[in-house]
This record gives sequence, C-alpha cells and structure tokens, in this order.
Amino acid sequence: MNLSMLGFFKYGNFLLENFQWLLARIGILYQPPHLNILLPVGISFYTFHSLSYTLDIYRGVLRPTKSLRDFILAVSFFPQLVAGPIVRAGDFLPQLLHPPRLKNGQFLWGLALMVLGLFQKIVLADTMLSGSADRVFGYPGPLVALDSWAGVLAFAGQIFFDFAGYSLCAIGAALTLGFHLKDNFRFPYAAIGFSDFWRRWHISLSTFLRDYLYIPLGGNQVRPFRAALNLIIVMFLGGLWHGAAWTFVVWGLLHGSYLVIERVFRVSFEHKPWASTLPVRVLAGFATYAAVCIAWVFFRASNFTLASRMLGGMFGQHPNGDAILSTRELLQIGTVTAGVIAMHWAMRDNTFETAVMHLPPWTIAAIGSAMICAIVLTQGSSNAFIYFQF
Amino acid sequence: MPSSISNFKERLRLPRLFFRKPSREEQIHGGPPLEFERPIPPAPWRGIAVLVTIVVIAATAVWELYCRSLGYGPTLKDNEDLWTLRRRVVEPESIVVIGDSRAWFDVDLDELQKGLTKRPIQLAMGGSSAWPVLADLANNKNFHGTIICSVVPYLFFAPPGSPPMDHAEKGVKRFHNQTPAQRVSEYLAMPLEEHVAFLKPNDLTLVALLNELPIPNRPGALVPPRFPPYFQTEDRERRARMWEKCAEPGSELAKQIQQIWIPLFTPPPPPTYIPKDVFFAKMKEGIQKRFADVTAAVEKIRSRGGRIVFVRFPHTGGLKELEDRITPREKTWDPLLKMTGAPGIYYSDFPELSGFNCPEWSHLSAGDSVEFSKRLVPHLRDALALPSLPTR
Repeated sequence: MNLSMLGFFKYGNFLLENFQWLLARIGILYQPPHLNILLPVGISFYTFHSLSYTLDIYRGVLRPTKSLRDFILAVSFFPQLVAGPIVRAGDFLPQLLHPPRLKNGQFLWGLALMVLGLFQKIVLADTMLSGSADRVFGYPGPLVALDSWAGVLAFAGQIFFDFAGYSLCAIGAALTLGFHLKDNFRFPYAAIGFSDFWRRWHISLSTFLRDYLYIPLGGNQVRPFRAALNLIIVMFLGGLWHGAAWTFVVWGLLHGSYLVIERVFRVSFEHKPWASTLPVRVLAGFATYAAVCIAWVFFRASNFTLASRMLGGMFGQHPNGDAILSTRELLQIGTVTAGVIAMHWAMRDNTFETAVMHLPPWTIAAIGSAMICAIVLTQGSSNAFIYFQF
Repeated sequence: MPSSISNFKERLRLPRLFFRKPSREEQIHGGPPLEFERPIPPAPWRGIAVLVTIVVIAATAVWELYCRSLGYGPTLKDNEDLWTLRRRVVEPESIVVIGDSRAWFDVDLDELQKGLTKRPIQLAMGGSSAWPVLADLANNKNFHGTIICSVVPYLFFAPPGSPPMDHAEKGVKRFHNQTPAQRVSEYLAMPLEEHVAFLKPNDLTLVALLNELPIPNRPGALVPPRFPPYFQTEDRERRARMWEKCAEPGSELAKQIQQIWIPLFTPPPPPTYIPKDVFFAKMKEGIQKRFADVTAAVEKIRSRGGRIVFVRFPHTGGLKELEDRITPREKTWDPLLKMTGAPGIYYSDFPELSGFNCPEWSHLSAGDSVEFSKRLVPHLRDALALPSLPTR
C-alpha cells in the first residue's frame, strides 16, 4: 500500500513512458495520457517512515502504538519529512513515551548543528560549488578534461554539503525540540572501499535497504553469485528511489557493481599483509572517491548523451573541447575539494561531537561567528535543497 | 510474537522476507536497545552563544557602516518576486512598460501618469528581452490595455536559452508559479532591504566579492562577461533611478560600466561544437521566427482592443557605435515596425528626444529620465492615437 502510493505519484509517468517506448519497439503506436501528477512533499521519505513502522511491527520488533498522534508525528516529523534522514519508527516512537526533556546544552548544541548545516548548504554547496557544477552540466558542447573533472568534483562537493547540511539542520532542529536523530553522514569521502562508503553516506537509507531488503533477500549468507545479485538488486532499487529516470538506475547499478567488485577483491586480497598498509589504504581511498565521482556523472546528468559526453571529456576524448570555467572557479573547486577530503580523512575514525569536545570555547565561538557571518554575506541567494526533489 | 501476526503471515504464505525472529532485547517491550541519544559535547554553551551573538552583530554593523562609507544605500533588490508583485497589479486595461533596463531607468512613472492619465506599471527588467513578457500578455485573454515596449535589438532578438531570455522567462514563470512562501518572503525582505545598505546581490555578496579577485583566466576560456556593479536604486513600484555617483560627469564608476557594456553587447564567438554555417543559419532562422512571433502577439493584443508602441531609448558613445554596427536599424527596428504594423518612437528621429547624455552610455540619469519622459509623452499619445488632453 505504502509503495503503491509512491509508485503512482513518483513513477506513474515514468512507467507509462517506458511502456509506450516498449510498445513502439514492437510497432504499436500508443499515446498514453500524460498524468499531471502533483508530487506530494517528501513522499519518498514519508513512505519509508511509514514502511518502517509497518515492517517493524510485522517483524515483531515494534509494538503498534495506540496513539494516532504519536504515529502521525513519527511519520511526518517536520525536520526530516521533506529531505530525510529516514527515521525508523523504532528509533523515534520510543522517544514519545515520555515528554521530551532538554538536557543541559542540548538546545544550543542543536542550534550549533543547524548553523553548521546552513553553512555547508548556503556557503559551501551553493556559493562555492553549485554555479560551476550547473554550468558544466548545462553546457551543450564537449569540454576539455580539466573543466569536465572540475564540474564533477564541484557536484561531488555540492551534493555532499547540500544533503549533509540538510541532515545536520534536521538533526539540530530535532535536538532543540528534545528529539534525537541518528547521524546520516560520517565523513564519506574518506571511505576505503564502497561498503565503507555506504556505511558513511546517507546512512539512514543504506541501513534501511540493508535491513529491510538486503538481509531478507539472504544478504551475504547465500552463495556468492546470489549475494552479488542481492547487492545489484538493492542498489538498483536504491537508485530508482532517488528519481524516476534511467540515469538514477545506472547510478545505482554502478554502485552495485562497485560493491560486487570490492567483494571479489576483498576475498582475494584481504589477508595479504600489504593490503592493510597505509599507502594501499590511502590509494584505495582515493580510488573509491574517484569511482564515486564517476558515478555522480549519471546522478547529475539529465540524460545519457550528456553523461557520455561528460565521461568522454573526463577521460580526454575532447582535447579540443571548450574551457568554460574561470580560474577563480577552478581555484574555488580545488580548494573546497581538497578541504573536504582532508577534513574527512582527519575525522574518518572520529565523531563530530568528540572533535568539538576537544576545542577550546573561544575557538568554537570564533568558528561559529565566522560561519554565521559568511551566511549573512551570501544574502540568502540560495537554491532549494537537492534532496527536496526526492 | 502476537498470534494475529503469525496467522497473517501464514495466510499470505510470504517468502522468508522479514522472517528473522527478533531477539527479546530487540523488542520494544524492553525499550532501551532501540532508544538512542545523541551526545552533547560538554562546553560552556551559553557563554559561547552570547559571544557569537555579540561578534556577529558587531561584524554586521561594521560591514554595514563600511558599505555606507563606500556610497551604497538601502534599496530594494530587483528580483522575480518583486517583479511578480507588480505583475499582479496588471488589470485588463492597464498601461504596462516592458522590455530592458532602458525602459526601467528612463521612464518616470509620474510624468507618464500626468501625460497618459493612468499610472503605468513598470515591468521592464534589466538585461532582459521584452519577448517573454510580451508573449505572456498576448496570451492573457483578459488583457486589452496598452504596452510600451522598449527595444534593444541585441536583447529583443536574443535566442531562446540565452541570458536575456532566461531572465525574462524566470520572471514570467515566477508570476504564474509563485508559492505562498516566496510571496511572504518578499514581503518580509522588502522592509529589510529598505533599511540595510549591504544587501546588494550584484556587489556585496560572497560570490560577487570573490568575483572581484583579480585572477586572470586561461586564454580562450569562454567565461561569461561581468555584469555592471550597483548603480541604481529601486522603489516598490520598480522605478529605477541611476545612482548619483554614477551620474556625475566623468565619474570613474560610469567609465567602469562603459567598459563592461562593450563585452556584454559583443556577440560571443560561435560555439565550437556546431559548424559555423549551421549556427549562423539557425540564428537567422531564430530571428525570423522572433519577427513572426512578435507580429502574431501584437495582432492578438490588437484584436482584443489593446495597443502597443515600440520605443528605442537613448544610448550614446561607444555602445551606440557597437549597437549600430551589430544590430543596424534597417535590419531590426525598421522591419519590426513594418511587420507588426505597430507604431514606434526612435529617440534620434526627434530633436527633443535626442541630445540627452547617458553617463555610462546606456541609461539616463534620474534627473534626465524625468525630462525625457515629459518629452516622450506627446509622442506616446500620438503613437497610441489617444485623444488630446483637455487644456486648462
């Protein structure tokens, strides 16, 4: 029932268009009516919230709540309703058993998280990166390798800061109200391997897919081929969840393939002594980042022609292509990308809270002030959060 | 597990999805294992909050004072929401001014109201083509008012997807799709913009400040030309007035803007990914289509009893030379009037409309715009065939 609602609203036209295309391939001309479907706000997240409630009760993990008010609040809690993180009923409903009580410093720490989230979104994603990413992915001709890579790196940074920024805002807003939501990102661009990446990127979605889809399909407790197929199926659906377009499906399948390849490598080399040396780990980390960036091309490109042109540019197929980014934009992208990678590596085995705990109060105040001043300086010229569309 | 669930499972004969029996600890009956609490880093949060508030307020105040010392003053931001506010005021018989920044700067609404007996609504947008707004008014079956349409051929005939078209289309789209949040946001922003000087999106935002860094670009890089800095104020009726600092004779700001117009009005080189002959053929085809579309739109408006007059506003110096060269009158203005059959006022055809000095080559100063509008009124009345005003 939950999924059928999502299917109708989000994938209705997509399915019809593909059905029409299939019929055309066998010579049947069919013109389906275009459904003017208004996508309800946050339907993907709402569906997953309510799905987790239904499934957890079915599994016996959760007892049905007797309060309609609590149920409605759990599936439509406003901070995470429109763009996540996906909060499971089992994580949220127990918090409603007693009136939320703010611990000392909780309200201001919640505000601090919101400031950090807004800084990531408004200053880093929208001001420093989104313009360049939009120009590169909107350019109708071939680009030289430098501009192609710069555009992809800009988008890699933009989507991280945009989504991680929103997640922090949601977590912070919930904290100020006395509710606790789990982390949705844990320094993903320092991931070593793709399973590590998915333990750090959009954690609420990856754990949802793991627990409600991958493990019930058999997970890795089945034959290797079946386990690989399970991974592909899960990532295929994960890609499709992001949007009704084949580019998202390819993005998901690409990540599925990455996971399968990683598993093969792991089985073959995990126990070799050189596999856990620092240079190999760093190399594997950068290879992971590069592969994730290549997958982002399909996530951001509006069609396969653009995606293939971008990939062509990245791998030097257009030496005579155009250069469209200014030196200032290239420097911005380079600085922010280097900064985010360095920060993620420095923090990869740490938590944000621990890092803050070790800072002197005046440093926290200086960083907070600088972030708010930078936000004020942008004058509110920001775009909508990318994940609002999902 | 409750028996109802077991029965349900049995009835459906589901595969082994979701069948793992949860451990006793996992069940909500026990509670704690599923609960989660975020750690709160121990720090003097109240003191930090007070310090941050003081620093941010002080830094903002210093920045505001610094911007004012540079000559910036509070004024409204021109954006799609402000435009939409004015677009909503349009009634079936309104007089509307559409087109580019010349109509925006050079038209004084008070003078036009005196001469045309009705207050015009300012819908011209800086750096935009008049076509999207004209098309929108033509498609509005209720509209049968009067349109005063500025024509800068380089902008008026700009191809779809180009910045002048995008800019105007954004406004039109916002008018049709404005959300209540965007509307409320504009109402909240206006009083703030009317009192704070540093709210200047083209000059004093982080992006604009970064853009000012003197970093040379790679040779051959197709980097878009810069836009002129802040040089106008705007009120709630969207009446733009040139900043006095720019209007001063021989001002540095005016000279700086003059040098920005030249690359902005110079056509970019043909794209490398389309053969040149195909590109030029497409451009020619696009311009012919624009002539045809405008003719059809004018016909629609006239068929409902509406009126339209095209106006070419003053421009001078190197910019006039450039415009005359790339968009000569006989290939743009003359055929436009001929095809549409609409009246037109070309400033240089009339001695009383000529001779105005545009400090930065493209627009009149606030003072000159009043005088120019006063002199323009009789020509508008003639062109629109309005009856003579009663003399006192």
